[in-house]
Amino acid sequence: MLRSLTRSAVVLMATVLAAPIHAQEGHPLKGSWIGVWESNKDAGDDILMVLNWDGKTISGIINPGTDNMKIGNATLDPNGWKVHIEADGKNKQGGALHYVIDGTLKDLELPTRSVTGTWQSQSGKGKFDVRRQ
Amino acid sequence: MTHNQTRNQRNWWAVGCGVAAALFLGSTVAWAHHEIAGKFDLSKTVDVAGIVTHVDWRNPHVHVFVNVKTGKELLNWAIELESPTILEMDGWNSNNLRPGDAIAVKGPRARDGSRQVWGGDEVRFTETGLPVFPAKLHPSRAAAASRPAPRGPDGHPALGGLTPAGQGYWTDPSKTALVEDGVDVKTDEWGLLTSLTDAGKVAPMQPWALGVYRHRQERMLRDDPMYLNCKPPGGPRQYQSRLGVEFVEDRARQRIFVLMGSGNHNYRIVYMDQSRKTGLVTGDDDNPLYFGRSSGKWEGDTLVVDTIGFNEDFWFTNGGLPHTSQLHLVERFTRSDFDTLRYQVQVDDPGAYTRNWSASWTMKWNGGSVPFYFCQNNRP
Repeated sequence: MLRSLTRSAVVLMATVLAAPIHAQEGHPLKGSWIGVWESNKDAGDDILMVLNWDGKTISGIINPGTDNMKIGNATLDPNGWKVHIEADGKNKQGGALHYVIDGTLKDLELPTRSVTGTWQSQSGKGKFDVRRQ
Repeated sequence: MTHNQTRNQRNWWAVGCGVAAALFLGSTVAWAHHEIAGKFDLSKTVDVAGIVTHVDWRNPHVHVFVNVKTGKELLNWAIELESPTILEMDGWNSNNLRPGDAIAVKGPRARDGSRQVWGGDEVRFTETGLPVFPAKLHPSRAAAASRPAPRGPDGHPALGGLTPAGQGYWTDPSKTALVEDGVDVKTDEWGLLTSLTDAGKVAPMQPWALGVYRHRQERMLRDDPMYLNCKPPGGPRQYQSRLGVEFVEDRARQRIFVLMGSGNHNYRIVYMDQSRKTGLVTGDDDNPLYFGRSSGKWEGDTLVVDTIGFNEDFWFTNGGLPHTSQLHLVERFTRSDFDTLRYQVQVDDPGAYTRNWSASWTMKWNGGSVPFYFCQNNRP
């Protein structure tokens, strides 16, 4: 039940927050990303990321809302377009979780480019797959 | 019979042109309003000869369809030409060809293997070998005696016509790719590098920006949003088109309109009252724009325009150099004589570049109004 509500909330947030797909010819990671981090028992399978670029740092949040996770360390390596993202969240008991996401940016030329790879935290790991909205 | 009569009536023009032989032997891929190498493989030419079935004289590109006998099959090929606007500027028209005419073309074939060939100025009548479109592309401009720049009532050089009869626009940019001043790299007219190893020399890009630029170059600029999605040519790109720009100075309201011949006849407004207006397009003051928000002032005989507030939905230059919403441009326009406008731009974008950098070129005066061109997307 709770998982279902969480999923619905994420979808609702995605609907409200994600602008219609439009071109993004600046920094490739900037924008809203929606997808899944499979088998995430703490945050649910669905994920929404909002990323920004200020010229030096990639910043952003995961699953915007009262329980959002702030991205503390993120990098993009143009050699192979490797993406590394770290964020801090909490498990259902309120304990601290540190997420590490590693993936590869694909379809760079498209506004609907994607990042696929893996996620892991102290409580699990799985496939990571998000697409820019 | 009818076709022969029609063809004969049209051929006199071709014969009178006197350039057929030179075109036949020496013509190359014609200027295009976007990079054709993305769609056509310039290293693989194909000979196509057949009977015209349809002439589609529409933007963004004219297509001539021909039936080509291939063994026992009759296959329909598409010969792609420039836009009607540009063809008509060069003296071509939709009556040069009619269904039933026998023509031949030698040109680069489509990369995807489809039956499409870029015609450029290589389309010829099979029977005579004469070009269908006899006017030479872009006849060279006759050298004019130097004349002083006209001045408006405020004493500054006039960037546009002072009277309806004196209307004109700026075209024939001396550079069509944005490359930092002092850097020597070779590109084609659409900014495609002759050698990809020069990518890092073009401008002081951050690593991600260089990666994006290389990716766009490797894909032959085929993802250009101005071509794919008819996005406006914001930033310096508006001064890199042969279709030109026209300045209309509204001194009473302290603003200058810059009308573009390319990009759907877009325009930008330069406010001369130092107010940098916001919220003019949608009422949203925070809405970043394709042309940003510009404030101008005169420094001697040079118009200096300071612009911020760009969105990231377009390429701000031919060749695909990236930019971010932090882009800040300082443009300088100097009409050094009647026929010459010097354009200099300083690029300040800490989101994409490691330092400020500049580029400059000149444009030439052309009498008349800036040509119309309307892009239509979803029609390659």
